Amino acid sequence: MQTARLSGSGAGARRANRGRETLWFYMLVSVVLLMLEAFGAGIPKQIRAYANDFVAPILYVLERPVRAVQGGLERLAGVGDIYVENQSLRQENERLIQWREAAMQLGRENDRLRQILKVPKREVPPAATARVIGVGGGTFERSVLVGAGSSDNVVQGYPVVDENGLLGRVIHAGRWTSRVLLVTDLNSRVPVRVERTGALAIAEGQNESFLRLRFLPRGTLVQVGDRILTSGHGGAFPPDLPVARVSEVDEEYIYLEPLGFLGQLDYVRIMAYQAVPDEDTVFSDEEEEPGE
Amino acid sequence: MSKVVSPMVSGGPIGFLPVTVTMFLAILMLLPIGSGVANITMPNLALISVFYWLSSRPLLMPYGACAAVGLGLDLWLNVPLGLNMLLLLLARLFVLGQLKHYKGRNRIVHWAVFAVMAVALYALSWVIMSVVNGAIWPIRPLAVQWLVTAFSYAPVAFLLGRLRRWAL
Repeated sequence: MQTARLSGSGAGARRANRGRETLWFYMLVSVVLLMLEAFGAGIPKQIRAYANDFVAPILYVLERPVRAVQGGLERLAGVGDIYVENQSLRQENERLIQWREAAMQLGRENDRLRQILKVPKREVPPAATARVIGVGGGTFERSVLVGAGSSDNVVQGYPVVDENGLLGRVIHAGRWTSRVLLVTDLNSRVPVRVERTGALAIAEGQNESFLRLRFLPRGTLVQVGDRILTSGHGGAFPPDLPVARVSEVDEEYIYLEPLGFLGQLDYVRIMAYQAVPDEDTVFSDEEEEPGE
Repeated sequence: MSKVVSPMVSGGPIGFLPVTVTMFLAILMLLPIGSGVANITMPNLALISVFYWLSSRPLLMPYGACAAVGLGLDLWLNVPLGLNMLLLLLARLFVLGQLKHYKGRNRIVHWAVFAVMAVALYALSWVIMSVVNGAIWPIRPLAVQWLVTAFSYAPVAFLLGRLRRWAL
């Protein structure tokens, strides 16, 4: 009886030891991975991009009922306002028809002047239109996963917009999916200008629903409601894309409300714009040169 | 009269249920419910699931499974690799050490233990993120997610409990 108990406790101790060894092994792995990230030698970005490709089919299936429920709720909420909304849409449509005529006339005039002055066109063609299939980062990052990747000619660094304005840029491009870092992310810095005054500044993400305007020249007056556009400096984004609107000005900070519909992203447009070559391309070109 | 436990439970395919469910909940965390801005309010379902299964069936959620779920989350959420892996391993270490104190107690005690464990893990993740990025990370989003996760524990644990009674 005693032998059996002893052998039983021996097996328990062995199991506990093995458990402790396993724990330390995985702890060590996680600490090494974290140290690699801290010292900037993290895993290649492509591994993350392929990990997203792996989970994308599951997300495609799971997001359908979510979209259906969201759509149904929005429709239910909208039924009550349908008459008022219809009236305001009619009025808005009349105004837009007039604006359309004016815009077309200005566009034609702009084209003629560009031809005369030999100024190159600034339209950026879309690389792809994609659906948002997932979000990422939890509390640490503001990013979304979209259903278009390198197979759709999406490249790291491409700006992403919706019908209202700039949303962010592609940070990882997998085969079928890409991760888009939103302008509200803490690591997002967008060179911008104030539309009314032309003053240059930087719109910084805060991991919140708002942005902050920084590095504005001294003496620049900014008002609530001012539109903020990309300046095109640095080459990461094309100029004149709407980014945000000034929502609050206090003694210390200027707060911006993003114009892109970040709270209810559905479809997004990825723009084929890459004025400055990305560092991966530069490094891969440099690596190829000696072998040639 | 005690419930007859199938031999499949510990070693067979049903034994993988806790890991499979946790992995599924980890993927569910990526769904664009409200998209970009609202992702902050998505509770940490994987942490809830790991805590629940460790409190009820610790052998079915080994260290390897915690590490694998954590690694998957790190890759999918685009956070520093090793962060969620470390947090889930520490969660297992905590539960195995404290289980004797709260096993068999009522659900509110489980809830309180989870909330305390989660606050410690979120504080640690804040320190790690600040060190890895070399800058003080904002606390508010982290505090909001802890609150949402802590409040979500009860309904999610209730559903997991139903599933456990049905399957295991």
